[in-house]
Amino acid sequence: MNGKTFGIKAGVIASSVVLALLAATAQAKEPRTPVQAEDEWNALMAAVKKGDDLWHNGKLGTNGLACGNCHPDGSASNPHTWPKFQTNLGKVGTLREMINWCIAVPMQGKPLPLDSDDMIAMEAYATYTHRGVAIAPAKDEQHGAVPVVSGPGYPTAGGH
Amino acid sequence: MKTISRRQFLGITTKMTAATAFAGTFAPSATSFFGLGGIAHAATKKITPFTFAILTDAHLYDIKDHKFDAFLEKGVADINSMNPLPDFVLYAGDIGQSGKDSELKKGKAILDKLKVKYRVIPGEHDWYLDMGKSWKGHFGNETWSFDHKGVHFIGMNSILVPDFWTMAGLTPEERMGRMEELECHNCGLWGVGSAQLEWLAKDVKNISRDTPVVILTHSPLWNYYPRWNFQTVDAPEIREILRKFEKVIAIHGHVHQVVYNQIGNISSAGLLSTSWPWPYPPVELPYPHLKMNRVDPGNFEDGLGSHAVNLAADFMGTLNYREFAHLLPENVRRGLKL
Ligand code: HEC
Ligand SMILES: [Fe+2]
Ligand SMILES: [Fe+2]
Repeated sequence: MNGKTFGIKAGVIASSVVLALLAATAQAKEPRTPVQAEDEWNALMAAVKKGDDLWHNGKLGTNGLACGNCHPDGSASNPHTWPKFQTNLGKVGTLREMINWCIAVPMQGKPLPLDSDDMIAMEAYATYTHRGVAIAPAKDEQHGAVPVVSGPGYPTAGGH
Repeated sequence: MKTISRRQFLGITTKMTAATAFAGTFAPSATSFFGLGGIAHAATKKITPFTFAILTDAHLYDIKDHKFDAFLEKGVADINSMNPLPDFVLYAGDIGQSGKDSELKKGKAILDKLKVKYRVIPGEHDWYLDMGKSWKGHFGNETWSFDHKGVHFIGMNSILVPDFWTMAGLTPEERMGRMEELECHNCGLWGVGSAQLEWLAKDVKNISRDTPVVILTHSPLWNYYPRWNFQTVDAPEIREILRKFEKVIAIHGHVHQVVYNQIGNISSAGLLSTSWPWPYPPVELPYPHLKMNRVDPGNFEDGLGSHAVNLAADFMGTLNYREFAHLLPENVRRGLKL
């Protein structure tokens, strides 16, 4: 079963789970082809891109602020530390709940449904900017995303 | 000391710098000692001690009664409450968020409430909607210098990027929108450019090497984190021009955080904003013990503040972060030695 199955609506998920289980008992699953793998990667990248836009365009709030104002490159969202106890949430909560808290409080916006495509895209952007960072439950750190020292328009600047 | 009006003060240009060229005797080396921030040097030429204040990065929106208006007001009120008042105030850029005239106008109206004169340099958020037209209309020249009680002050525009918009056919709003993102993927690295480098070389040409110098730029004059333009691309050239001086204090906005560095004769410090604090980028800090704590996102004043810099007779500087909340570790609260 591939991860993509979980992207579709509940009823479809239920039936595809049944189908997948049937398939698993009937015969070994076909290995994933490179084309499939690429499609799946592209689907993820589309979600990351959507998350990137939502993170930066300010449309989630009402006071002009965007997540990117305070969390450039997804920094200090620390997706590798969740779930954890968070004081502002007052409980052990999830990354998605904290995203909603930041929409509601600093940005004075309307929280997203936790399982909405927009919320999944936000989470995808946060985790993608922290790819390769070790999972560290509740670790007390302010992680600055994956360092980007070069890229379009960003050659490594001259030395100190 | 003759007092000068705000208008005179704002009109001061490079012409005045000749006044300091003849004073002071040549001394072979400056005394130095280990300050809080590493090695802070004293200067041999004595100055009349004084204090100036700094505000920066208000990021005002064109929205009525926005919370950031109140924070800039708070910074202004804080400085007005200082006793004695500072001699003047420097503002290190990013008054507005989207470069709109309405934002800059609102910022100027609030800054005009300062009881002392002030001087401003631009940040990227002030500039890229109309390439500085409104900003210059409100605040005058973006490149300036003046002398005060024996110290030579310099302000420069460090946020000039090569043209990325013409070829891409971007509207002014789109150009501004890209620059508003700290991690803009295709805006490029910024700097002061060759015209200002030439200006700087001329400005300090006839100033004796024992004259204390303070330079204000929006971005740091060292290579901190280029990805977020926590750099100035021609900083090495600027440092080279200023190398003849015994001691230079460099102060910058843009980073919205406590950060310190020391390169040769230049000690450099970052400032708190009056809008929001930024997390530290994922690179090693040169002075890791000099940083602010993690911010409580539920306290909008956390990590914000104004500043006062005390300059002693030997040009030992102390930067006091006057934070709105209580976030600074004890060693930073005592003041950064510059
Ligand atoms: C005005 C500034 C501001 C805005 C806008 C903002 N945040 Fe935050 N947020 C903070 C601060 C400050 C913290 C605390 C950072 C820390 O713990 O070091 C924080 C914490 C978080 C955390 C928890 C980090 C941790 O480890 O506890 C997440 C996740 C987060 N923000 C996501 C978002 C998202 C997503 C948005 C946009 C919807 C957003 N924030 C908008 C200021 C902001
Ligand atoms: Fe700023
Ligand atoms: Fe800036």
